Amino acid sequence: MDDRIRTLYDARLDRRTFLQGTAGAVALSVLGPRLVTRGQSLGGQLNFIGYDGEDARNVAKPFFEANGIQVNPTFIADAFEPLTRFQTGGRGQMDIVSDNKDFMRAVLDGGVEFFMPLDLTRIPNAAGLFEGLKTPSWLYRDGVTYGIPLIWGDEPCVFDPAVWDGPPARYTDFADPSWAGALVLVDDPIANTWLWATSLGFEQPNRLTQAQLDQTIDEMLKTKPNVVTFAATLGDQADVLIRGDATMAVGGWAYQILIAREKGVTLSSASPATDGTFFWSDAYSIALDAPNLDNAYAFIDFMMSPEANAAIASELGSACTIEAALPLVDPLVAALYPYDEVRAPGGVLDTQVVSPPTEDDGDIVGVARWQEAWQRFKLS
Amino acid sequence: MVTRLPAGSLRQLGPATTFYAVFFGIPLMILFVLSFWTQQGFERVPDLTLRNYLDGLTDRLYLQVFLRTILVGLVTSFIVVPLAYVMAYLMRFTFERRGQLLLTLVLISLFSGYLVRIYAWRTILGTGGLLNTALMHLGLIAEPITALIFSPWAVMITLIGLLLPLALLPIWSSMANVSRDHLEAARDLGANGWRLHRTVLLPMVLPGVSTAFAIAFVLAAGDFVVPAMVGGTSGGTLVGNLIANQFRGSGADWPLGAALAFMIMALLVFVYLISVRLLRSVARW
Repeated sequence: MDDRIRTLYDARLDRRTFLQGTAGAVALSVLGPRLVTRGQSLGGQLNFIGYDGEDARNVAKPFFEANGIQVNPTFIADAFEPLTRFQTGGRGQMDIVSDNKDFMRAVLDGGVEFFMPLDLTRIPNAAGLFEGLKTPSWLYRDGVTYGIPLIWGDEPCVFDPAVWDGPPARYTDFADPSWAGALVLVDDPIANTWLWATSLGFEQPNRLTQAQLDQTIDEMLKTKPNVVTFAATLGDQADVLIRGDATMAVGGWAYQILIAREKGVTLSSASPATDGTFFWSDAYSIALDAPNLDNAYAFIDFMMSPEANAAIASELGSACTIEAALPLVDPLVAALYPYDEVRAPGGVLDTQVVSPPTEDDGDIVGVARWQEAWQRFKLS
Repeated sequence: MVTRLPAGSLRQLGPATTFYAVFFGIPLMILFVLSFWTQQGFERVPDLTLRNYLDGLTDRLYLQVFLRTILVGLVTSFIVVPLAYVMAYLMRFTFERRGQLLLTLVLISLFSGYLVRIYAWRTILGTGGLLNTALMHLGLIAEPITALIFSPWAVMITLIGLLLPLALLPIWSSMANVSRDHLEAARDLGANGWRLHRTVLLPMVLPGVSTAFAIAFVLAAGDFVVPAMVGGTSGGTLVGNLIANQFRGSGADWPLGAALAFMIMALLVFVYLISVRLLRSVARW
């Protein structure tokens, strides 16, 4: 069995889990040694908590070895796990936190103590970020940066082109009986509800009243008879497509096309013409009271070098965040993502907010209501 | 009559008791305390409220899932245990010489990872899977049967496949202590077929059967991976999935998750005790 697919079988999968040890390692075996610089105060431990693969154990291996840094990774199953650990005795034991855009926005908006303000003079390579990622709204507050984007992407529909020409113009159109037995969604209450709320034309689809949330769920229920299953992860969703148990992944991952190609299966991707889709990004931050601050800064700076950033993007099948890295990214991976979205400030990554409020806010219902509504949708 | 423990047995039980107390008892107590707290945004606030339990008891959503969970656990274990009993009997008494080899072959499946075995079932039950392909080649069906995968049936079939080796072990172990002479004597006295099993063999291996039932029932009712992977839109949620959702992601509510965990635990113990009592009455009947 191919190692990458074995990983898919053995692990809790998301977009960050694939291809470790292949593309990135190959790229850095050539480029890596040139990138290694020894800082005077480096060495010792570096505690990482975040998504599997974003610890860059392949890409940054030369950096760790040359500087005598031992990485202690902790991989997370969901975005809120680092904060939970931080609040339950983990403070003072975390250095690097890698997490997603909506989680970071929620933490900063909620005024929760977790991230350290970053000193950008210690991350000079961050100057090479795409213009649209230099002061992103989900990492930047009052002139202070709390995180550096590592990778990003979108979640289009991925489908079998032998069966479908593409997705319909709107997500609500998936309710048509012609889609019966075709759809696979990821078991993600926030993403799916947001997509259908967008399709219903709500002005702020992440800020819904209870009536609007109910209306969205009612609309989703019209589509449910056409859904084959709710995949546990994006990797699992790819597996369902590859096995032919479904032919249209809603809220998928463009990289699923390359995974399928390796299995001899042809897939295509596109987003509904009217509704579009949502965008994600993962970033590195440093936790408050990080015990290995010098190592943490040096690591982030290393990962923002064009070579390392291109290697991690290729390895994780995602879009890079450093402009000079783009020509170095695997062309097949680079072609999957709309880079125009990050070339200037104010792109869709910056303006789009997917997560609902953490708690009820007047008439606007919080995330717990979304979770509850999703469970009712699944059980109806 | 009071049974006295042999001298020194308490000391021998010490390490295991300490291990369970530290790594099971204390975490369970913490979880129990947590079930009376409340969740506010990202924070868990110390409290002494029964609200989480009342939510679990009064919400139709939770009651529906509790019921479904118990049903899946019972149906699965009532299929798994008889199957395991028959297999153990065949290996012990019919194919006695090859019994150990057969047992090893059955247990080999446990050597692979849990997720790998679930994916293997997907390969068997899928639209383009082994079963559909075989049926189509045999001309028994013209189109693949899509209901084989991503349905409540797929959850049951997969659970049965996963739990059968685990249920087999305690029954086999009990039967290994039953002498063939007992069965021959019973046959000489006129006990054949069902009566032989009900009045002679089953009472002798009842501890093994009860243990197999406990394993199958608790693991089936507590599983949340199989429903998520093969349950589809109609069989994808058991109470384990609801509890898991309360401990991860945005909107997580640990106190509610803890309360749900204790409620299902109490319910499982209750249903298990009733089932074992029924089983014992059948064995004595």
